[in-house]
Order: sequence, then structure tokens, then C-alpha cells
Amino acid sequence: MSATAADTVEHLMGRIALRDHRAFKLLFDQTAGRLLAVASRVLQDRAHAEDVVQEVFVKLWNQSVQRSPAQTCSLAWMCVVTRNMAIDHLRKKRPETPLQWVDADGEEHEHDVPDSEHPSPMEHLLAHEDGVRLGNCLGRLETEPRQAVLFAFYEGLSHMEIAQRMCKPLGTVKAWTRRSLLRLKGCMEAFA
Amino acid sequence: MNWYRHRDTVDQLAASYLLGTLRGPARRRFDAMLPKKTLLALAVDDWTQRLAPLLTTLSPVQPSPALWTAIAQRTAGKGHEKAESIWKRIFSAIPAGALATGLLLGVMAPMLWDRPWAEDTGAQLPASYVGVLGTADGKPGLMVSSLRHGTWADIKQLNPVAVPPGMQLYLWRIDAEGKTKALGPLPTGKWVRMPLPEPAEALFSQAVELAVTVENLGDTPLAPRLPFVYRGLCGKLWK
Repeated sequence: MSATAADTVEHLMGRIALRDHRAFKLLFDQTAGRLLAVASRVLQDRAHAEDVVQEVFVKLWNQSVQRSPAQTCSLAWMCVVTRNMAIDHLRKKRPETPLQWVDADGEEHEHDVPDSEHPSPMEHLLAHEDGVRLGNCLGRLETEPRQAVLFAFYEGLSHMEIAQRMCKPLGTVKAWTRRSLLRLKGCMEAFA
Repeated sequence: MNWYRHRDTVDQLAASYLLGTLRGPARRRFDAMLPKKTLLALAVDDWTQRLAPLLTTLSPVQPSPALWTAIAQRTAGKGHEKAESIWKRIFSAIPAGALATGLLLGVMAPMLWDRPWAEDTGAQLPASYVGVLGTADGKPGLMVSSLRHGTWADIKQLNPVAVPPGMQLYLWRIDAEGKTKALGPLPTGKWVRMPLPEPAEALFSQAVELAVTVENLGDTPLAPRLPFVYRGLCGKLWK
């Protein structure tokens, strides 16, 4: 994301704090498509995704999204807020519609396996200038630790839930995520 | 152990927080400390920027027209009422005595130091610029005042924000186009005076808002490098 876009969100949020409804509509026009993409990615359900995005914008208008004054008010931050709310939504309905599953043949369907209809997170990252660095660094992780990170990030799974899904010991999953985050940070700083 | 003082611990926790694997009481403690500790917020911010491409690079999905309609309906009619409520909230949160003292000291004290002030406006108070800034969560934060032709600004901090070691608060002017201009570092303290780089009239006549960031100690940034910790309207106090 460019600095200019970040500045724009920051500026619009400042106007929204002053109850400027035109700034609010402008922010919606600039960001709703991306936020809807985030919510759709987590929920895999268009109607529920729109419900989540609606809640995000109403909370932004009401200034009820928790944020430290020192946190950057950017598109990235808005995407994370949307993702967190989508995960909360997902957790409420997860028992009915699990996103990850083993089919009748015993084949496990995973987030990180690309298909023609739904590109994988890696494909998305590598296709965008802003995501190449993270994509390259994620690509350097081993497959299972990377999957564990993506399960946590996109689905909000706990260490225990990841361990159950991947049939791995809890300690292993904890070590994977901790080391993966450290490696990601080191790798991205090295590329900076 | 004050874990929030240790950079490595904070970084690891912020990473888990952003990833979503920090759960239960640990997450609640982190949530509680986040608005109070700038170091935590900066670490979360770093991880947000680091991992956000997983979200921001997703192909946009066109919202249905019904989405904005629903949002507009839920937020309609709250513009003007909310505008009033922000100011009401700011002022109502300040005890009347403190507000009166703040305004009195903010405007009268520089008058005594810098007098004679510019001109007789017929008003009770001298011609001055006054800014009332709130914190990001809507609390009263900072009051800034300066005589119209003064070369000093008086600042009263109503709700202090944490400033990490090696950093300082920095005052900015925001004009009608949203452009920022550096006014200088704020001295430490609840009630301080800061020298202005130019006479107040030259600086504040174009100000729509004032804002404050946390910047590296000793830096003279040309643009804010971190988000605003205080922000609010600035106006002139004369006819």
C-alpha cells in the first residue's frame, strides 16, 4: 500500500471523527471493495461478508473501534479490523460450516492449495508489488509451518485447533508459529 | 515483571496478537495495555504493516448497492448531532473549574508575559488563537493557546499520553487542504510554553486543526512519521 493511500485513510478518519458524512462516503468508496474481499476470504460467504463490512463501517462512524492513538489509521489497519470481525463472525457459525474439511475420500482440503477459481494467498501476494516481499518470505517457510500461520491468520484458529486440524502435537504447532513469525520478520527486514 | 518494557517480549506478543494466537487472559491483558503503552501500539503497528499484504492484496469485491444504503441508514442524521456531542463530550469531561482555570490561564497568562497584546478588540480576552485537541478515543487531550501576534504558545495537557524513552511529542498545524506544517517539539509537562518558529498570526491563521505526534527525540520532521496522538480544532478568539 502506498504512503499516499495511508495518508488518505488517516485524513478521512480525522474528518469522520468530526462527523463529516461526505468523508465517510468517500472512505467507503475507497475501501469497501477491499474490506469486502477480506471478509469474503475469511467467511467464504458473500452475504455474511457484507454484514461484517456493514458492522465495520458503522463502528468506524461511531468511533467504537478500539485503537491506540499510536496505531496508524491505514487501509492495512482497516483490513485487520475487518478480518478480526469476520473471524468473530466465523467463530459463531463455525460448528455449522467448517471451512477446512476432509472429504469422503479422506482427502484434506487446505487453504494453501491453489485452484483455478480461488488463487492461494501466495499467488495473491506475489502478484502484487506490495505483497512480493511477504510472499517471498512466506515462500521460504516450510509448508506445514506456513500452513499453520495461514490457518491462524485467515481463520482465527487457536494453537490447539491448528494442532487438531493438522494432527500435530500442540507444542510443535506453537513452535512453528513462533519461529515462523520470527523468520518472517528477519526475512522481511533483510529484504527492506 | 513489567513485560511491556521489554522490546523483544513486546514484539513476540504483538506478533501473536496480530496473528490471532494470543488468547485468553494474555490477550485481555494485552488489550488493556495497548491504549496505554505506545511501545505496544508501535509493535502492533509494525506487525500490521508486515502481515497486512495477506489482506490488502486480495482482489477487491464490488459491494452491492444495498450495502451503502444499509450503512447510510444506520448512520443517517447523526452528523450534526455527533458534531455537537464531540464538543459536548470534550467539555463535559473537563470539570467546570478545571476548564475555567485552563481557559483563564491559557489566555491570560501569556497576556501577562507578552503584553501589551495586539489590539483592543472590545472583548474580555485578548485576541488569541486557541486549539482544543482530543485524544484518538475522544477524550479531552490538550489545549493550545497563543496571543494573535505572540511568539509563544501555552500548552496544557489534559490527558497525558505515554511517550517512550528517546521520543518526544511534536506539534503540527493542519490547514484547510489537510496539509501539515511542523510547529516544533512540545516541552515535557502538563503545563508548558513552547517558542513558535514564526509569529502566531503567520502560523495559526491558516490552521483548521492542530495535531500532535510522537517523534524521535531531537528530530525535526517535515511531515508526521507516526499517527496523531492528539488532534482537534483551532480557531481565533476575537471578533
